[in-house]
Amino acid sequence: MIDVHERGSPSRPDGESGDAPLLRVEGLDVRLHVGATSVHAVRSVDFLVRRGECVGVVGESGSGKSTLARAVMRLMPNVSRVELGGAIIFDGRDLMTLPGAEMRKLRRKSGFSMVFQDPLGFLNPTKRIWRQVAEALSERPGGDRPFARVVKLLEEVGLPEPERVAKRYPHELSGGMRQRVVIAIALASEPQLLFADEPTTALDSTVQLLVLDTLRRLHRDRGTGMVVITHDLSVVAELCDRVYVMRGGEVIESGATVDIFEAPEDPYTARLIELSRASHTLGAAKLCAPASG
Amino acid sequence: MSQPIIQLSGVTQHFKDPGGGLLRPRLVRALDGVDIEVHPNRTLAIVGESGSGKSTLAKLLLLLRRPTSGEIRYRGVAHSSLGRAEMKKFRREVQAVFQDPAASLNPRMTIEESLGHVARFHRLAPPAEMRAFLSRHLEDVGLSREEDFLPRFPHQLSGGQQQRVAIARAMMLSPAAIIADEPLSSLDVSIQAQILDLMLELRTRTGIGLVIVSHDLGAMKSIADEVAVMYRGKVVEFGEHVFDDPQHPYTRLLLDSQLSMDPRNRRPIRSLEESGESSGALPLSAAGCSFQFRCDLSQEVCARSAPRAIQHGDGGPIVRCHVVNNQERADT
Repeated sequence: MIDVHERGSPSRPDGESGDAPLLRVEGLDVRLHVGATSVHAVRSVDFLVRRGECVGVVGESGSGKSTLARAVMRLMPNVSRVELGGAIIFDGRDLMTLPGAEMRKLRRKSGFSMVFQDPLGFLNPTKRIWRQVAEALSERPGGDRPFARVVKLLEEVGLPEPERVAKRYPHELSGGMRQRVVIAIALASEPQLLFADEPTTALDSTVQLLVLDTLRRLHRDRGTGMVVITHDLSVVAELCDRVYVMRGGEVIESGATVDIFEAPEDPYTARLIELSRASHTLGAAKLCAPASG
Repeated sequence: MSQPIIQLSGVTQHFKDPGGGLLRPRLVRALDGVDIEVHPNRTLAIVGESGSGKSTLAKLLLLLRRPTSGEIRYRGVAHSSLGRAEMKKFRREVQAVFQDPAASLNPRMTIEESLGHVARFHRLAPPAEMRAFLSRHLEDVGLSREEDFLPRFPHQLSGGQQQRVAIARAMMLSPAAIIADEPLSSLDVSIQAQILDLMLELRTRTGIGLVIVSHDLGAMKSIADEVAVMYRGKVVEFGEHVFDDPQHPYTRLLLDSQLSMDPRNRRPIRSLEESGESSGALPLSAAGCSFQFRCDLSQEVCARSAPRAIQHGDGGPIVRCHVVNNQERADT
């Protein structure tokens, strides 16, 4: 059994009816060495994503949640030395021993993609949207022309009037639209697993909903596996099947989202949920009432 | 009610939009006829989405900008007639707390130097007692003397501790009002609650007027006495029970966009049509209500004229919406 903390959903042993998990991380350790100091950013973390599953990783700043995702994708920060330990098995392949070229191929085609928090920092300001999405398209002999495929993708991520959006530049779009363009780029390589690092954090609440709708539709319609990294428990509540709670580089609790939200075992998790709930219960009953004078 | 510390009446702030073209610059109405009062011993929350003008409003409340038109009164004196001495008094009496505490502290100065700089300028304590004065004020915001924060640099403090230092810097001037622009949004959830508690505690103890600008409606619910909801430069709803009994369709939309925190009871997944989004920027039409294009109550009158702000009953909410206000008129 991989997940010692796991409760709620019984995890099956590997190899049973070909239902091996899409991603299996065992005892992952990440140490970052910067000059003379070193940080033990991720401490013996076990982590699992099944095919078509949406998994949340929550924690406050410095909990190691982003480092975990970057370690799996081998997109580590540019510090002097990174020390990795443990095993990362993606789709049956050991990523720890995979050569760099193979790793790049995984990131480019039908492996995994990442959506970052800040879409403006990710998009090229001098290129029209469709060219940027087209660059990421997986090669497909024959078939539609790139522009048509881009428009289809933009439509899929829920952008209104995709032909018009495709011809625009990033600065001509709102923050929520840019974030969906980034999601479209992430999908262009037809990944099996999508990492989303704080995908809705910089957005207004009405726009946050639009992006959440997009991610949930993709999960439902495409069955893409998703890892959503966030500090916002309400995003997990709306989106994730299972959740890992991280603190100080360790996973302190994990399980089905419903179980964790209803009966958290760790007092830290309980406190986080209580605080988030306090700021999310806004006279909901009143909202359903029709407008009255 | 007492005399307001700051009073904005009919305040309008226009900017030239650099995207509007070089030859025909377009005007952006960041604020459009805003009336707002800051009273002692009250907490006013200003909420709205990005681009609603709430940060511009904060800057005007701090007199960091002058309005294009309209008037800002400080203790009854119009901003245009404030003399040098009065301006200095204003700078001392009205303090600011900003979003990013790291950016509001000089990284090359210790906490003692940063705070001491301000304290010396305003002659808050004689030099011999300066250290004790600063320690006492840090203690007031929950930074204990034993831990000795004074010789530390900002980067040696956590985000929450930095924000406490920023609050201490504002509080040590014994201000009459504090204007806080998104003081929580760069902090973790558990720290946000602590900072909110601290601000509420300071407000209750000292009776200052507190203005918090925020996009986080949930956090504001627990702290605000009054709420102003802003949309495209206008206050569309103002009142004491905005969260419990929203009137304006935009306020309802904002509240309805909050996520559930209940994984068993998720929001239904909306299609593109249901979300009612359009691709372009919403038209900046001069005529009519600025919310008409996103509003599900929109009627013919909404395209014709901009709604006026009307108060519903004595002490009731002030709402800027044709449909809701007409209903209110019909009912009374």
